Amino acid sequence: MRPAVEAEKLGIPSVVVTNAGFSALARITAKGHALDDLRIAEYPGSFGIDSADQLRQRISDVLVDQIVEQLISHLAPASVISTARSTTEHANPKRIVATGSLMEIQRYSAAQDWTDGLAIVPPTTARVEHFLRFVGNAPDETIAVLRPGNRCATPWSIAVNAVMAGCEPFHMPILMAAVKALADPRFNIGNMGSTSALLPFVLLNGPIVKALGLESGAQLISRGANPVIGRAIGLIFKNIAGFVSGQNYMGTFGYPLVFTLAEDEAGSPWESFAAERGYAADTSTVTLGVTNNWGPAPSPTSTSETSGAQVTLDVICRELLKKKRAYTFPGKGPNAEKAMITVLLTATLAQSLHAAGYSKQAVKNYLYENTRITLREFEWITRNTTAKERSSLRDKAAAGIFPPEYSGAPDDRVKLLSGPEIIHIVVCGDPHRNRLMTLEGGHAEPTTVPIALPPDWPALVAQARTSYR
Amino acid sequence: MYEVHSPIGAETIRPTSLAANLDQLDGKIIAESWNGDFKGDVTFPIIRALLQKRFPRLRIIPYHELPYLHGADDPARQKQLAQDIALRARELGCDALISGNGA
Repeated sequence: MRPAVEAEKLGIPSVVVTNAGFSALARITAKGHALDDLRIAEYPGSFGIDSADQLRQRISDVLVDQIVEQLISHLAPASVISTARSTTEHANPKRIVATGSLMEIQRYSAAQDWTDGLAIVPPTTARVEHFLRFVGNAPDETIAVLRPGNRCATPWSIAVNAVMAGCEPFHMPILMAAVKALADPRFNIGNMGSTSALLPFVLLNGPIVKALGLESGAQLISRGANPVIGRAIGLIFKNIAGFVSGQNYMGTFGYPLVFTLAEDEAGSPWESFAAERGYAADTSTVTLGVTNNWGPAPSPTSTSETSGAQVTLDVICRELLKKKRAYTFPGKGPNAEKAMITVLLTATLAQSLHAAGYSKQAVKNYLYENTRITLREFEWITRNTTAKERSSLRDKAAAGIFPPEYSGAPDDRVKLLSGPEIIHIVVCGDPHRNRLMTLEGGHAEPTTVPIALPPDWPALVAQARTSYR
Repeated sequence: MYEVHSPIGAETIRPTSLAANLDQLDGKIIAESWNGDFKGDVTFPIIRALLQKRFPRLRIIPYHELPYLHGADDPARQKQLAQDIALRARELGCDALISGNGA
């Protein structure tokens, strides 16, 4: 996309070829690179999973016409960028943009895509101004310009997001520094909208951790003020950096809350993370890192030798071999630890499997039959990743907990899963994307209960939407 | 009742507009730019063949004759590489560029 932007600036009309569902991303990215529109030809399928014949057909039927049309009769720029969030109305940050009850403000903020789906604290003038007391800068001073929207982060805009997240005013210095980290080229924030769902995380070091009672120990990401600091960064990502859900914030299966770590400097035998980077022990620091949040989401890709459906199945098998809880997967019966594997498939992948003749059960059967591991490797996992294991594989096989084949030779390749019934398939996520996730769990099995609705349910819902304030 | 402010940051740049459209494709020169992703090695030859069948006097410069842009996680380097591609297209006298594949 970027070469097209630069070529357009040189006066060379350029068309960008994208997968279905990515036009808004391309346009917003172009706008971030100072081009007010983009010529786009959208392929009506998935490059990754489509076969060679499908690619040829769809390019011939749709894509080439779009390329020609975009180059010779593209509409004037004034008609576009309806997908990108306009900030004209926010030119005066001190303007009141909404007035209402607590619930009305929640609904308004959600409708504007200003939130992460959770309730916010209303950013009133009094609250924002209170937060600004904890910052040494003028409210409208530019602290950083954040890509991809090239928007201005000021103490005011940072404070609005911090209030919304539920922060305390004394968290402001952390957030001010964090915004500078987000703007640093090393962080490369412009590429954080990837469909692989890159998620920033926050790491705190130095005296501020103890001074503000931030958590560095047990359950740290979900205790104390750690969650709200991370949440504020997530809101700043959306509202200041300009990531818009489903348009240029493309995580196939979405994002959990940004999490915040504080290093346990007292418990560590080594120099701290910040000290490694040259900061003195009496200096407080915030570091922004990145993670593929709740797990990798591989994108199976067809090849000239292998269909998309076959690659998808083989990718899932390989994903299951990497799981931390793999040592529980072969167990069966009342004496075994429960295992639960949930496979998330986008509609693109599910349709590819269905077109290849696979029912859900057939997919489960395939995974059961073909997810295999050597006993040597399985024993290593068991011995080195579980604290409580006392019985050998042979013991478990003899007791009927593991299948009889688990008493075989070290190089025997055995089925890792106890049966197809521990595999559960859910179709969800960006329907245009050829991605999947495999979620492992244990000590439980999926437990489904019907939801009872009271009489007059539709009327009650409608009433609540208007009168619950 | 609550009166609230917007959390949106103000825009800082004034975008420029697109280049002018072409009047036609026949007789023109188009360059391809492939980022190395999403099967461009499969899709560009198909597009190339279809365009040349439709516009016999159209000349297409394949993607392997332009600089390669992939995997650069340094924003400044990304921009430089993109500019290099655009400048090369201009040097080659290109009237248009097809860039892909995005997903």
